[in-house]
Amino acid sequence: MINRRQFLRNSGGLVLAVSVSVACTPRDHGENIPGTLTAYLDVGTDGTVKLFSPISEMGQGAHAAHAAIIADELDVPIEQVRVETAEPADPFRWTTQMYSGGSMAIMQWRQPLQKAAAQAREMLLSAGAIELGVAQANLDINAGEVIHVASGRRLAYGSLAAAASTLTPPDDPPFRNPAKYRYIGKDIERIDIPATVRGESIFASDIRRPGMMYACARLAPVFHAKVESFDEKPALALPGVMQVVEIPGGAAVVATNSWAAIRGAEALDIRFSKTAHDGLDSETISQQMHAGLDADDQALMAHEEGDVAAAVAGADRVFEAVYEVPYLAHAAMENWSCTVEMDEEGVLHLWAPSQAQDDFRSAAAKAADLPLHRVRVHTPRLGGAFGRWCDADAVPGAVHTAVAVKKPLQFFWRREDQTAQGRYRSAQVARLCAAIDSSGKATALDIRMSGQPLRARMREGELDTWNAVYGLRGIRYGFDSFRVDWVRVNQPVPVTTWRSIGASQNGYFLECFIDELALELGKDPYQLRRELLARDPRALKVIDAAAELAGWNEPLQEGRARGMAFFESYNALCAQVAEVSLKDGKPLVHRVACALDCGSVVLPDAVRAQVEGSVIMGMSTALGEQIIVRNGATVNTNFDGYRIMRMAEAPLKIDTVIIESGEAPGAGGEPPLPPAAPALANALFALTGKPVRKLPLN
Amino acid sequence: MTIRFSVNGEERSVEADESMPLLWALRDLLGLRGAKYGCGIAACGVCTVHLDGSAVRSCVLPLSAVEGKRVTTVEGLGGNHPLQRAWVDEQVPQCGYCQPGQIMQAAALLASNPNPTREQVREAMNSVLCRCGTYLRIESAVRRAAEVMRNKEASHD
Repeated sequence: MINRRQFLRNSGGLVLAVSVSVACTPRDHGENIPGTLTAYLDVGTDGTVKLFSPISEMGQGAHAAHAAIIADELDVPIEQVRVETAEPADPFRWTTQMYSGGSMAIMQWRQPLQKAAAQAREMLLSAGAIELGVAQANLDINAGEVIHVASGRRLAYGSLAAAASTLTPPDDPPFRNPAKYRYIGKDIERIDIPATVRGESIFASDIRRPGMMYACARLAPVFHAKVESFDEKPALALPGVMQVVEIPGGAAVVATNSWAAIRGAEALDIRFSKTAHDGLDSETISQQMHAGLDADDQALMAHEEGDVAAAVAGADRVFEAVYEVPYLAHAAMENWSCTVEMDEEGVLHLWAPSQAQDDFRSAAAKAADLPLHRVRVHTPRLGGAFGRWCDADAVPGAVHTAVAVKKPLQFFWRREDQTAQGRYRSAQVARLCAAIDSSGKATALDIRMSGQPLRARMREGELDTWNAVYGLRGIRYGFDSFRVDWVRVNQPVPVTTWRSIGASQNGYFLECFIDELALELGKDPYQLRRELLARDPRALKVIDAAAELAGWNEPLQEGRARGMAFFESYNALCAQVAEVSLKDGKPLVHRVACALDCGSVVLPDAVRAQVEGSVIMGMSTALGEQIIVRNGATVNTNFDGYRIMRMAEAPLKIDTVIIESGEAPGAGGEPPLPPAAPALANALFALTGKPVRKLPLN
Repeated sequence: MTIRFSVNGEERSVEADESMPLLWALRDLLGLRGAKYGCGIAACGVCTVHLDGSAVRSCVLPLSAVEGKRVTTVEGLGGNHPLQRAWVDEQVPQCGYCQPGQIMQAAALLASNPNPTREQVREAMNSVLCRCGTYLRIESAVRRAAEVMRNKEASHD
């Protein structure tokens, strides 16, 4: 990755495609770009279109989808579109932050990108009209060319790019007829895949800079412990080790190669400070959450409709169940790696896996004591992230070390530190209680949540809407009365966003309870859901589609059972049915049928891929994932102890039906996760008669 | 010390401690960045390469065990290998970080078993983790590539 100005300088006079920025926005320094939406697009003199995407590519297919949006609106072959993640600047910020989280890639960015491409197309048409001396109305476009319909004369976009860039983008450009789309809604190949299969995709750890050194961190195992002292001599004695630098929460060993740095980090004799939570363990955390369920005076009301207390008091009977989930690691295959370099103009460059470029930039500026405009954040491809790199906590260590070394530096964490440092999906417990009247109808649902808030800095008394109660406040099930509240239980465990955030546990709590309630009421779980959704045609369509795809009413093979789950998150409705048996006492998932309504889809196959990945990740959490805390620290810090799903455990088949409802745009990358664990758990419940009240199963 | 071995058909030598795992020699000393660091304990398989044709976890394989042997990395497949084409046809990768390891694991499987059953694919590929959850597409791609390679083999007979 080269500096853009340098590239332009170096390429001047050569026979190279020189990109002309449509609307000529200087992207280099990022700040205060005037509000031109075409800040997103360069059209090169060779016709290549460079798209600066506001979203980091981490496997969700955002860049391919954004390329498809641009290619269809601009009418260029998608092969000519190159996508890279932008640097932080106003056009790439959603409200005030550049941020790849909350499933925004399509939900929030489809329209602005489409508009930018439409503006660029209109500017190219205007330039073509001037060049040909004809009225713009007599021009058409086709596959990267402006065409004069009457004479058949053609001009390639590339030949018009320079002239177009001097024009003003129209405020209200027309959009093309979707019937002309070549890519949107079609099963096309993702443009980033060929490089990946050749091993040529560049991740943060693949960045190489001239004279670059490598630094491996050694971090405090106990959450938030600080360095008390360390002896650097055992590390410095190793070949290749150059220097040891103290960083927040640990030290970094600088060496001529990664292996020497790792050995040095392991050799450091380092002492960490005592903390107030040196004795903390998973059992204590669990007990404190369960105690929270009874702390009525501390409960924060999240949502209440109707009179739940009266319904419970007047109920014929009450059915109640308590569920629990543990802390989870993101366990992306890529470890933290951040390359830092100060250029000759005194600008600090960062190449890092980032989902929050503005926060990364601020963290780096603070750590290096530089003003913001002297820090640039480059985002290579991310090796999975799932919410982990929404937080910039790993940036200061990298920058501190680079500043001390005064050379280009690649700073990284070992897997053990990556897992131990956490920022986990929070543990949580829930008690669900249904009031059942004398006719056998469930009239009220009362949910009490208890657990740690998503952000430690949240004020006391502030409701944790993104984690604790996410997805539960507006449930579509039509109980006569409904209430959900939450008791905050502070813990020193570092937590953050994790794929689908609160929906990842709340889908499990709600949907396993619905199946238990169905048994209590003597109803089929699918039928109970149909009754509870009777006045919601959109939701009914989704659960009906999943049931039909799964053959819900068809007979099962001996020893198998089906489980259903339905959950709404990020403007998308998702239902799944898992068909499961037991093999050597372990669950074998024969098939998952999934129905997803996320409004409208750009790349259907990329959405199906997200469904498959979400189902596997969700079921992985059900089967084997949990962070185990002993003595204030995580003990299972590598893949031998933190068990994520392997191929032999994966479902044998995952079928997806996408419902194009045309409703408000929703997401595809997170909503298919919440139903996966409860669909599996409900199938096991149906199979064994034993409810699954706690995850993981193993 | 100097350690010599062949990488993707070329004789190479590195100056390194013989305890250095092959992964770091490939990535930091030889500029071959396809194989990735995931766990450092041979538990995730994203560093998988071939040593004399067999799949090995390069993150724990010391250079002393590589001296004089043949190493093949994803770069050595040439870009148009039936597995790489099948990976595109089945649209396997999501983030892609594990995929060089997955492809090398699959290449070793097909070299020893040109016609693996579904169970054999799942068993052989079980050692390489993918957090994005591309397993079903990997399975399809391995079987697709196997068929292409068998047909090619048959047409040469």
